[in-house]
Amino acid sequence: MNVYIYDDYLNKSRYTKALNRMEIRLTDLGLSGKIIRLSTIKNIRGSIQNEIKLGAKNIVAVGNNQTINKIIGAIIDTDVYGDFQKNTLLGIIPIGDDNTIANSFGIKNEEDACNILLARRVEKIDIGLIGKHYFLNQATIESSGTKVEIDKYSLEVEERGEVKIINLLSDPQEEIKSNPHDGLLDIYIKTRKKDETYLTADKIKISNLKHKLLIDGVVEIETPVEIGIMKNKLNTIVGRDRVFE
Amino acid sequence: MFSKDGKLEKFKDAETIIGASVKVKGNFQGQGNIIVEGTLEGSLKTKANLFVGDKAKVVANIEVHDAIINGMVSGNIKTRGCLSIGSSAKIMGDIQCAEISIDKGASINGQLLMTSDEDKKIVKEEKKETAK
Repeated sequence: MNVYIYDDYLNKSRYTKALNRMEIRLTDLGLSGKIIRLSTIKNIRGSIQNEIKLGAKNIVAVGNNQTINKIIGAIIDTDVYGDFQKNTLLGIIPIGDDNTIANSFGIKNEEDACNILLARRVEKIDIGLIGKHYFLNQATIESSGTKVEIDKYSLEVEERGEVKIINLLSDPQEEIKSNPHDGLLDIYIKTRKKDETYLTADKIKISNLKHKLLIDGVVEIETPVEIGIMKNKLNTIVGRDRVFE
Repeated sequence: MFSKDGKLEKFKDAETIIGASVKVKGNFQGQGNIIVEGTLEGSLKTKANLFVGDKAKVVANIEVHDAIINGMVSGNIKTRGCLSIGSSAKIMGDIQCAEISIDKGASINGQLLMTSDEDKKIVKEEKKETAK
């Protein structure tokens, strides 16, 4: 059974056409399933976990990065994770803005997403972990005043710019390599002076007294925090044009 | 390893790049090629190669395979293979290497110890094995 989780912002009239197009395409492809609207339920985690226990084949996030974040939060490190790992795949149908995770998976739009669901190309990918938050793409923070501690050394940046802790890239134009299967986080620092720093680690501590860390462009948290990675933790349906191997 | 312009041939394959605006403190240990354009204080070790840019400041003992030094290094440098010192390099520390080249204008304050022919053979054998 397919379970489609509709984010609450999709209630707005400007998304009606896109949703209709998507639903017609899913019906045409024989991929209809149960729809759960996040706007109508209070216990998001409970509802998603219940569907996994009932044997859902695909849990599909219909929405944006935030929708995916909510679903991952309901799956990983819970008692349903074993069932999910064994039987269920995570799919994505991007609608609206903030869809960098879908872009990483090679999913361009809602119609493309339906075809990708049908093809069921499966990848096990790593997940980044920051405290109780999970991320698929990356966490970012202003570089000025940021200290990154790794194993027996630390990095300090004075110039303004951005520090990215990357699990998988959202932009195929980026020159750096990122592999969401290697169990490593890529640390990429680019300052306004255009100088670049690149290294990898499996565990880091990051701190900045003035600025917050932004997780997958969705959640902002205070630092210092420890960032780790869980290898091959999530079974996902990806497109042929995904930005990773 | 070295190209005509003195940069690492496998620049894009560098495992670690330390940019000019970044300061690294502590014991840095890697497996792959390292490029330092910024500041590093502590120690630096890798089984592969090191490139130190002309604006870089390294206050550390270095232990690598091959190295190109164009910036300032305060500390001892030990390479199992070739050490190439550029014209803008300033080195304050002892050097131990199997092969060396020094460009006009470079400044070195320290002792130089060339490793024995026996050691060179080991390095060449290592290279052959790598090539295989």
